[in-house]
Amino acid sequence: MTLTATSFDWVRNLVHKESAIVLQPGKEYLVEARLLPIARQLGIPDVSEFVESVRSRPSPDSTRRIVEALTTNETSWFRDGDPFTAFTSTVLPALLAARGPNERLQIWSAACSSGQEPYTIAMLLEDALPNAASRVSITATDLSREMVERTKAGRFSQLEVNRGLPAPMLVRHFTRAGTEWEVAPNLRRMVTVSECNLAAPLPRMGPFDVVYLRNVLIYFDLPTKRSILSRVRSLMRPDGWLFLGAAETTLGVDDSWERVVIGRSSAYRPLKGA
Amino acid sequence: MRALVIDDSRAMRRIVSSTLENLGFEVNQAGHGGEGLDVLAGGWVPDLVTVDWNMPVMDGLQFVSAVRANPAWRAMTIMMVTSESEHTQIVRALAAGAHEYVIKPFTADALRDKLALLGLLPQEVAL
Amino acid sequence: MSTIDTGQRRRSGDSRPVIPELIDEATIRSIAEDAWIALVGEEEILLPIPGELPDDVLSSWVDVVGPWTGTVVLTTGRQTAAELTRALLGDSAPEPLEPEDVTDAFGEIANVVGGNVKAALPGPSALSLPEVGSAPAVRNPADVCRVDVLWRGEPLTISVQGALPPLPVPHPHENGESL
Repeated sequence: MTLTATSFDWVRNLVHKESAIVLQPGKEYLVEARLLPIARQLGIPDVSEFVESVRSRPSPDSTRRIVEALTTNETSWFRDGDPFTAFTSTVLPALLAARGPNERLQIWSAACSSGQEPYTIAMLLEDALPNAASRVSITATDLSREMVERTKAGRFSQLEVNRGLPAPMLVRHFTRAGTEWEVAPNLRRMVTVSECNLAAPLPRMGPFDVVYLRNVLIYFDLPTKRSILSRVRSLMRPDGWLFLGAAETTLGVDDSWERVVIGRSSAYRPLKGA
Repeated sequence: MRALVIDDSRAMRRIVSSTLENLGFEVNQAGHGGEGLDVLAGGWVPDLVTVDWNMPVMDGLQFVSAVRANPAWRAMTIMMVTSESEHTQIVRALAAGAHEYVIKPFTADALRDKLALLGLLPQEVAL
Repeated sequence: MSTIDTGQRRRSGDSRPVIPELIDEATIRSIAEDAWIALVGEEEILLPIPGELPDDVLSSWVDVVGPWTGTVVLTTGRQTAAELTRALLGDSAPEPLEPEDVTDAFGEIANVVGGNVKAALPGPSALSLPEVGSAPAVRNPADVCRVDVLWRGEPLTISVQGALPPLPVPHPHENGESL
């Protein structure tokens, strides 16, 4: 059950290419410890066999899972807080002014992972709007069934809530559940979770006023990036807002978007007539 | 920026201090709340205090209350760093005047994220 | 307010829970794993494999006093406790290590594990300061939940054990003053 040198090198190159993180030789045991749970979930008993299967048929899902397993311990809630600051300072007021009082705002967290992003948005809305649950709905999707289940459960470990979640928000919106923390029911009611593969035709959803699509495009090649952006755009309102990861942009990929700088963050809006 | 690290465990003081020093803080240490108040009364007033809860002589909650009772120390940001992790305990600490709360065990990243929330990162830190 | 606890009040008609009804081994193991990853090192894995403790062991523990009252005890070989201390202190580990360094670091790990065990139990509860030495005796074998792990190949046990008859109870008041 040892990781072969070829498998290790392939993982090393992948992680370096996608995250700029260098796995030094000698970290084979780390690769094994982190990838073994993923391999076992797929019914593959051996890490090398798992890596070889991904190497022979790479898919964005499996490469993303490998990179995430090796680069992130926990997702931070507000570490990259700029897209959320932009949401409360600019995007939400603009949308509330543009929509009628009975129009429900629709927000999409398109790669929700274990759920930090949709629940962050829900907390911000709950703190900013009276009757938030009746005025907004949040759709959270992820490619991975495991992540969908985790988001639905709305439970986070001690280490996860320690990562960039302000303590006043923790005590206001979470309760203890054994060693974990559980998101309050009113926030969970705001969020609908389902599986969704961004690289395939999308189900009928939306139209969305705001889309968070952060740290997803980096895993795809240029034509796929372009088609994802086009599919996302088709599910957005014409005056909607798209947030990408800090290292991502539509520039040079899809010119039917307008980049808007909001504070230290940027949002993208569909260009009229494009 | 200056930080005062209060914990009865020397090991924990070292862990917190070295994380803060790596972020550019000038760090002073104290072994319990009373020693912490002595440091402040001596005129060494930090931007940030990290304070454990359970300590001999004077615990963290008493320390927070004492600091909040003195208007001269109002600008100081207080962050509890403790293994006390019941919901009611966190509420008590915030009500007493702590700004943030980090539950042990924590990683250096967790501490850094909290400082970023508080606007207390002294320098731009590469991730 | 009289808070002298003679034990009488509790014994009359109350059925205090025993620890296996409140927490399971997997929970204790995950608490310990998180503590190791955060404090000892990101790559420090606790293997859920029992091993035989050496003759020369050291324990560190904290008392939990509340709806369930007892002790969270970590026990490992004295050498392993020293290695754990070095891992915890990293570059700032003094050479040679003094016994106080081990007492301090090993005690702090008991504090971190104990605090999180406490939070998983019905509350409110008070947590004592950590102690280090020979483990307190098991008072009621039915009121114990124990986890055996290997850290860097060396055995370590984490035992959450009830205190019957009750331990002396510290009474934390709302303002935090202790008696």
